Amino acid sequence: MLLDLASNLLLLAGGFFFCAGTVGLLRFPDVYTRLHALAKADNLGLGCLLAGLALKADSLVQAIKLLAIWPLVLVASAVVGYAIAHRADQLGITPWQRDDR
Amino acid sequence: MIRGKSDVKIMIGCLLRRTVGFALVWWVATEGNFTAWPLAVIAVAVTVAVSLRLLPPGSTPGLSLSGMAGFVGYFFRQSIRGGFQVSRLALQRQLQLRPAILELPVTLPTGLPRLLLIATLGLMPGTLGVRLEDDLLYLHVLDTGLPVVEETAQLSGHIARMLGVNR
Amino acid sequence: MIGSELLLALLLLVNLGAALVRAAQGPTAADRMLAALLFGSTGVGILVLLAVIQQTPALIDVALTLALLAAISGIAFAQRAWSQAVLGRRRGTASKTEDGDAA
Repeated sequence: MLLDLASNLLLLAGGFFFCAGTVGLLRFPDVYTRLHALAKADNLGLGCLLAGLALKADSLVQAIKLLAIWPLVLVASAVVGYAIAHRADQLGITPWQRDDR
Repeated sequence: MIRGKSDVKIMIGCLLRRTVGFALVWWVATEGNFTAWPLAVIAVAVTVAVSLRLLPPGSTPGLSLSGMAGFVGYFFRQSIRGGFQVSRLALQRQLQLRPAILELPVTLPTGLPRLLLIATLGLMPGTLGVRLEDDLLYLHVLDTGLPVVEETAQLSGHIARMLGVNR
Repeated sequence: MIGSELLLALLLLVNLGAALVRAAQGPTAADRMLAALLFGSTGVGILVLLAVIQQTPALIDVALTLALLAAISGIAFAQRAWSQAVLGRRRGTASKTEDGDAA
């Protein structure tokens, strides 16, 4: 019972972070800030989602398998995120700056 | 390469650890279903052989297990914080971003330590590695008011401890 | 039970669609590269949810394989493309990829 509740809360949190990531992607002003939003929020969302599903898994080993996906995606996001930022910098895209000084 | 008794000991320990490790991977990947156990034996044996060839025992001298635990713990904690923070920034009614590019000196040695630093920074709160040039790290930050310099130093410290290098 | 997961999967699909449209609009080439990140996280999330909804555990293997391939290709890319700037040591491969983004 309690496990189910925790699982559903985690799934809800996962959905929330995925939405926050998308909102950030839509609202943030340049590619660097959008990268921040996607990389961090979506990965936390996926972590919550996997943890929530792992709590509902049929067996311990299936739960471990679900959770094993997370570090792999983290590694991929970290490297791809840096690759995109680096490429943007090479293309000469200047970061957006607040102009209220 | 194997000379003394201690080398044999290291070799056997390494062999055991890797066999158990890859067997665990098989266990997880098949969800504990061992009907294909002959295949598992072959797969684990071949994997251990290949791993010994590509990463001979003793080729990562400085690697510390406690340092690795420290790094992994710090990384998970910080990436959760980073997710919360960027979600808050995205959902605020008025965008409160004050992005900037910071230049920080890097003292970690070239190679894996630096690569690890610049890649993991993208998942830490408010930071994104952009470029690394002549021991200078160009870091994009979401908000100049965040304590990114201190946190980058902490992250470098964890990486240095894990890999057994100087920071 | 299954209902909440189905709703969540739909929500992720809407997210993925909106984000893809946004990424495709650009304006820069780097913006369009964000799609690579999207499939890594949102795509894997949808696959795992589908595995539960359709009671097809094989889809978990698909998600795991996708994540594994993404991680491995990321590492391989890092080793080859940044060997000069970041990895310093590997001179042999560094000379082949002068430009950081040749690969």
